[in-house]
Amino acid sequence: MSVTVPQTELQPGLSGTRAALRRNFWRGVARVLRRKPSRMVGVAIVALFLLMAAFGPMLYPAHLPRDNNALYAPPSLAHPFGTDFEGTDVLALVVTGARYVILTGLVTAVITVAAGTLLGLLAGFHRGRWDTALMRLTDLQLTIPGLPLLLVLSTVWKFQGPLAMGLVLGLLGWGGIARAVRSQTLSLRERGFIEAARGLGLSTTHIIGRELLPSMAPYIAMNMLIAVTGAIYAQVGLFFLGVLPFDSNNWGVMLNLAVFGGGALTSAAALPYLLAPLLAILLLTLGIVLVVDAMDEIFNPRLREE
Amino acid sequence: MTTLSHGPSGSPGSHSSEEGDLVAGPAAPPPPGVRVRDLVVVYKTPLGELPALGGVGLTVDPGTITGIVGESGSGKSTLALSLLNAVQPPGRIASGSVEIDGLGDVVRLDGDPLRRARGRHLGYVFQAAQNSLNPLKTIGKQLLDLGRSHGVADLAALVRDAKDLLGRMGLDGARVLDSHQHELSGGMRQRVGIMLALVLNARLVILDEPTTALDMITQATILRIIREIHKERGLTTLMITHDMGVAAEVTDHLAVMYGGQVVEHGRTTEVLGSPAHPYTQGLIRAIPRLSGDITKASALPGRPPTLGTLPKQGCVFQERCPVRMDVCATVAPPPVTTHGRTVACHATAAAPPLDGRKEQP
Amino acid sequence: MTPLPNQRAPKTRAVARRLGGHVVRGLVMIWVVTTISFVIIRNIPGNPVLGQYEKLIEKGMSPDEAQRATAALYGFLPTGTLWEQYTGYLKALLHLDLGQSISTPGTEVVTLLASAAKWTVLPVLGGTLLSFLLGVTLGVYAGIKRSGKLGDLLSISGSLLHGVPQYVIGLLMLAIFTTLWPILPPGGPVDVEYVPGLNAGYLASLVQHATLPVLTYALASYGGWVLAMKSSVATVLGDDFILAAELRGLTRGVLFRYIARNAILPLFTILALSLGMLFGGAIFIERIFNYPGLGLLLVNSIGARDYALMGGTFLVTTVAIIVANIAADLLYTVIDPRVRTGGAA
Repeated sequence: MSVTVPQTELQPGLSGTRAALRRNFWRGVARVLRRKPSRMVGVAIVALFLLMAAFGPMLYPAHLPRDNNALYAPPSLAHPFGTDFEGTDVLALVVTGARYVILTGLVTAVITVAAGTLLGLLAGFHRGRWDTALMRLTDLQLTIPGLPLLLVLSTVWKFQGPLAMGLVLGLLGWGGIARAVRSQTLSLRERGFIEAARGLGLSTTHIIGRELLPSMAPYIAMNMLIAVTGAIYAQVGLFFLGVLPFDSNNWGVMLNLAVFGGGALTSAAALPYLLAPLLAILLLTLGIVLVVDAMDEIFNPRLREE
Repeated sequence: MTTLSHGPSGSPGSHSSEEGDLVAGPAAPPPPGVRVRDLVVVYKTPLGELPALGGVGLTVDPGTITGIVGESGSGKSTLALSLLNAVQPPGRIASGSVEIDGLGDVVRLDGDPLRRARGRHLGYVFQAAQNSLNPLKTIGKQLLDLGRSHGVADLAALVRDAKDLLGRMGLDGARVLDSHQHELSGGMRQRVGIMLALVLNARLVILDEPTTALDMITQATILRIIREIHKERGLTTLMITHDMGVAAEVTDHLAVMYGGQVVEHGRTTEVLGSPAHPYTQGLIRAIPRLSGDITKASALPGRPPTLGTLPKQGCVFQERCPVRMDVCATVAPPPVTTHGRTVACHATAAAPPLDGRKEQP
Repeated sequence: MTPLPNQRAPKTRAVARRLGGHVVRGLVMIWVVTTISFVIIRNIPGNPVLGQYEKLIEKGMSPDEAQRATAALYGFLPTGTLWEQYTGYLKALLHLDLGQSISTPGTEVVTLLASAAKWTVLPVLGGTLLSFLLGVTLGVYAGIKRSGKLGDLLSISGSLLHGVPQYVIGLLMLAIFTTLWPILPPGGPVDVEYVPGLNAGYLASLVQHATLPVLTYALASYGGWVLAMKSSVATVLGDDFILAAELRGLTRGVLFRYIARNAILPLFTILALSLGMLFGGAIFIERIFNYPGLGLLLVNSIGARDYALMGGTFLVTTVAIIVANIAADLLYTVIDPRVRTGGAA
């Protein structure tokens, strides 16, 4: 700890410009990452999955090769995680399936955060009747059980493709953020932030864009990450339950076929087919947990002590 | 009184003899004296360990009410906690000793002996603004927890004592013991705090800003109670406050703290009547008087120091001092005691003792 | 100093007002959910209600009879204006008539729900209480020893278990205990060869089959309890009264009880809420272990396109959450003396 002494003795009063703040922020990020090497691992894992989603499908032919002589083959050099019921390489399935999974997660996160922030700001900023109406809506959204609703919705809407899937999940998941953003807005209002800005003659857009949002950005960023994981779990779960048509490659489809398609659970040799997508989910969770842990410390300096 | 203190200052062997004293009985021993020597308390921060108390020395005579005044951040609350060896992390007592009659060096106590000393020998009363009571339990149940923790055999007698004490302070004891913390007003809670500090017959009582956040009437009542109980029970009382008015009203000795040092200490009337240290003088000038012109009250220039802004060497007050000399920048002034008055200031030491100063205009 | 008896009246009134508000909001919620069910069932591609009606007509039924038979199945008439269909549906619901199941012909949906509910309630209760006890105990430790190695380990494992979806844990349990090391039955509620009743064989089989679902519930929710308790303990540790208790020389045991009791209070509300949520959350676990509870019923009803059953299960799941919300709120007023008297007097 004593190593950092000369750095922090910099007089902050003189260099209080935005650029300096940003530089300090990145320096803080670097320090937080260095303090616990596990966090670097977290960043590396998340980066790996993003790369997998972006470039994974390019590494393999559009239709993955089948090998009728190697159904449920055990792990080998050619097939590190064995093969599935049609003799397709399991690793290839996981890698190519990542795009659907991650893309849905990102779309969901964007919609969740955008809708949640917008509605939360609206409710907190205008208060009164707007607030009451929006918060009733939020309560409703939070009370209706998400997964059962998704299942019921799947009977009328097939959520074709990752974008539609992300849209549905996003529209069902903004409640938490809306509520938090609203209470944050209200508490800033309570402290006289908004009145003071009004008194200075600042426009509403300026107040929201320059004063309110930046103070909430850390919170929103963390929630975005959590929304990504939530969306990933939900869609993989839906495919696993088998209520959606298996028209695309997804980890959930693999899980469903492994458990209910018969075969994988009858012998230990075929288990890798089941375990590979599970391992992918576990690894991604671990990565995100570690990154959230780091973000927590970057944004909440109070936690840095001890 | 000082003759007593010249015993072995907290040698390892002193433990067992003190245990004997603890048991030695109910025949109302004299109130304890307190001798703090070279007490250094440091806080761990990202900048390293910074001193909150930088070698504090303070002798509290038995049976007195001693006030400890200072601005926030002067280390007075840290000093109060040190008397119970209860400095909270990330702080710790780095060196020095706190000798209390009947207990020995508190700094060397730990584990069960320390726990038993707290509450039974040392009573601590929190700020009124702080919530010092468990919100989920009635006062009576918390009283019983206290009694059981200290091995009180006759709990019924304890409850009786508590009711008496509460009654003495003008409360309906039975009703209060049956209440939860949130059902009591601020003044009532503070009286409950005093009761819990005294009910096990602690003879040294430390009050940390006992009247802050109370309204004027309640404040006056609590101060009167503190004074009366102090006399009736034969206590040694230490009172932390930042309110010079409160200090003037209640205490008979006054220690002024600045930047983790006791800069002046003596009889309250003398310290307030003819302050010797430039900081004390400034403090008194800053008090507006009811009868006077408000413009005559002048605030101390500069800002009170924080852990990180204390001068690394020399006098802690040098940056705001109107009578600063060259030596102040390099050498910390040692506390000098004359006629029961202790002052740590180069300028005062150089000047003839305590005459030329009249009351400030 | 008002005398004590005065406090009772505002207390009951405050609780009654809170309860009233909750019930009204709960009814609105139920109405919304039933409306969603109605809209979905009526708009399903191919309109199954009308299809059923036409099928019955083809079989030679009179239009009146066919109307009635179809209404018995779905809870509303196949023909008529949207408004007539909607009010008919709501009216049937008021009489707790959720229609009949198609996949189990001739059985009322209510009957199926009742028999499925018991398979959900017991494992959910068992698993939740198990994880609550374990998680809270370890959470206290993690909260007090925040900087220690074991505390770190508890937090990270808690975050991980909390973060991983239920089905991942369930599938891993399935793989481990039925394939790699087959010591437990892979699915179903009980072995068929035993006669239901209070005989050792039946009960043993019951316990064997419930072990994996219960353990999965417990593991999946354990992490959340550890994290919640840890942060609650951290908050309480910062409270002044803990330092005050320490300075009064209370024993470690008493201090621990002060911390634990104050920290666990907010968790009881979460406990009540999570019991409500678990009815819906049981879907994955019941599907994985083929356990015939409400979750499996919902999945199967969708697979079989049994819309009345689907709507009924969805409704029950929502009602469970609403009831849990109310229960949580009432529980809080009972266990926290501060709420009981309606805050500062």
